[in-house]
Amino acid sequence: MLTVEAKNVDFYYSDFHALKNISLEVEKNKVVAFIGPSGCGKSTFLRILNRMNDLIDGTRMTGSVLIEGEDIYAPNVRVDELRKKVGMVFQKPNPFPKTIFENIAYGLRVNGIKDNSFIEQRVEESLKSAALWDEVKDKLKKSAFALSGGQQQRLCIARALAISPKVVLMDEPASALDPISTAKIEELIYELKKDYTIIIVTHNMQQASRVSDKTAYFYLGELIEYDDTTKIFTNPQKESTQNYITGRFG
Amino acid sequence: MTPLDKTSKIDKRKRRSQFIAFTLFKLMSYSVVAMLILILGFITTKGIGVINWEFLTTAPQEGMTKGGIYPAIIGTLVLVLGSSLFSFPIGIMSGIYMNEYATNSKLAAFIRVMTNNLSGVPSVVFGLFGMALFVNTMGFGDSILAGSLTLGLLSLPLVIRTTEESLKAIDFSFREGSLALGATKLQTIRKVILPMAFPNIITGLILSIGRVSGETAPILFTVAAYFLPKLPHSIFDQVMALPYHLYVISTSGTDIEASRGIAYGTALVLIAIVLIVNLLANFLRTFFSKRVKMN
Ligand SMILES: Nc1ncnc2c1ncn2[C@@H]1O[C@H](COP(=O)(O)OP(=O)(O)OP(=O)(O)O)[C@@H](O)[C@H]1O
Ligand SMILES: [Mg+2]
Repeated sequence: MLTVEAKNVDFYYSDFHALKNISLEVEKNKVVAFIGPSGCGKSTFLRILNRMNDLIDGTRMTGSVLIEGEDIYAPNVRVDELRKKVGMVFQKPNPFPKTIFENIAYGLRVNGIKDNSFIEQRVEESLKSAALWDEVKDKLKKSAFALSGGQQQRLCIARALAISPKVVLMDEPASALDPISTAKIEELIYELKKDYTIIIVTHNMQQASRVSDKTAYFYLGELIEYDDTTKIFTNPQKESTQNYITGRFG
Repeated sequence: MTPLDKTSKIDKRKRRSQFIAFTLFKLMSYSVVAMLILILGFITTKGIGVINWEFLTTAPQEGMTKGGIYPAIIGTLVLVLGSSLFSFPIGIMSGIYMNEYATNSKLAAFIRVMTNNLSGVPSVVFGLFGMALFVNTMGFGDSILAGSLTLGLLSLPLVIRTTEESLKAIDFSFREGSLALGATKLQTIRKVILPMAFPNIITGLILSIGRVSGETAPILFTVAAYFLPKLPHSIFDQVMALPYHLYVISTSGTDIEASRGIAYGTALVLIAIVLIVNLLANFLRTFFSKRVKMN
């Protein structure tokens, strides 16, 4: 079954036409990378998938997006339910000013879970999946702000995993991090795809080719090419793609 | 020789103007401190003589030329409390609504303009309005209730503003982070945004208390008693209040010369209350900002 299925999506910021007729499908437990020059609409499309763009005034969308077969823009859809299913990790780590433990527990608590032993178990599991457990297990009651940038980003990943989403959206999750933290996050993505479907926006070509199964190349609001990552990087069909991945522009 | 090689003269000039500017800034800020110390020193030296336990705990006697200011202290505290009960909930909730729910709406813009205008209205106008509405139309009479509502109205713009500004200062990424986890807007505000904004909101609230406790005009026609040596029993009673008492014994007491000392003593108590409130604000602010980071 397809996890994500976008059909003829057009998106506008007021009168600016940011995405033009995008259709794209993502299979379960795959990693898809979105690449393309700055301002081409990668983040915009990513934020369509968990309806984060709803928060911006004056935006408008046409077309349809199905997640696990359900139209997420149908009138009866509850956005908070959707976002439980489609988690997101942002470019800049944004932990809450709470303890490490409470950062992870937050998503469970706001979704009505009160069982403390379950919460403790989920906190541990999520921190382990995010490869952060060993570094923080002795300071769960310390402020999340005391962690390094790379640790904070993995905390945010753990936070997203704690509520067991189906899809995890990552918008340049490693762009603010050093090479070692970046490598850790890439390893992590590789591990995570056993359990999750992942879509990652990145400006780093090596990263895209290392972590993803498929790659989508966007340019000026259009989806130019979408194919297996190996194919995109070795034998792209469009000249624009070729130019971008070889660094001739962008 | 390019122009860049000849910059040493320009460098000298740059440094000189920088030196002059900073010296000027420094002098100005020192003079502000000096004026403040002057005022405090003046009031303290004049007023400290009459301050003792009796002055703080007994009622005025012999045409307010002797005795203490106990009823006025209590009256001011009661009015501060009463106006806060009114303005804090309304102000905080409006602030939240304006920043979190109706950010760009016409209604929010309208409320914003109105509150800005309201905060520029002279306080005596509030007094007049409070008299017309609360004392007469609603029939509360000269009472704690009418005075509290009038003072509450006066401080409402400040409470709304600080709430709104404190919320605005919280980076949008925290809201996104919370919403992306399936939290509702209300949960996001309650569990993430408000705790973060709280230290700043508290500061605003306490500053508004400082303002309320020092106002004379709004209570003049709504609650303040010229001379009332007993404590209030209900919210429909009148009270004395420090700022008004100060005004009365300095301008229209039975014997202004004889009550001069008491006037300075009253001023000192009033300043002390405002000062304590401000220190409390600072303390709560640091306390809550530490707590926010911790949990
Ligand atoms: N809130 C907004 N209001 C108006 N226009 C916007 C807004 N956000 C993005 N845009 C515009 O939409 C286009 C796509 O933006 P988007 O953020 O999706 O690009 P991107 O591919 O993620 O770029 P980057 O790689 O720099 O993050 C850009 O031209 C941008 O200027
Ligand atoms: Mg982007």
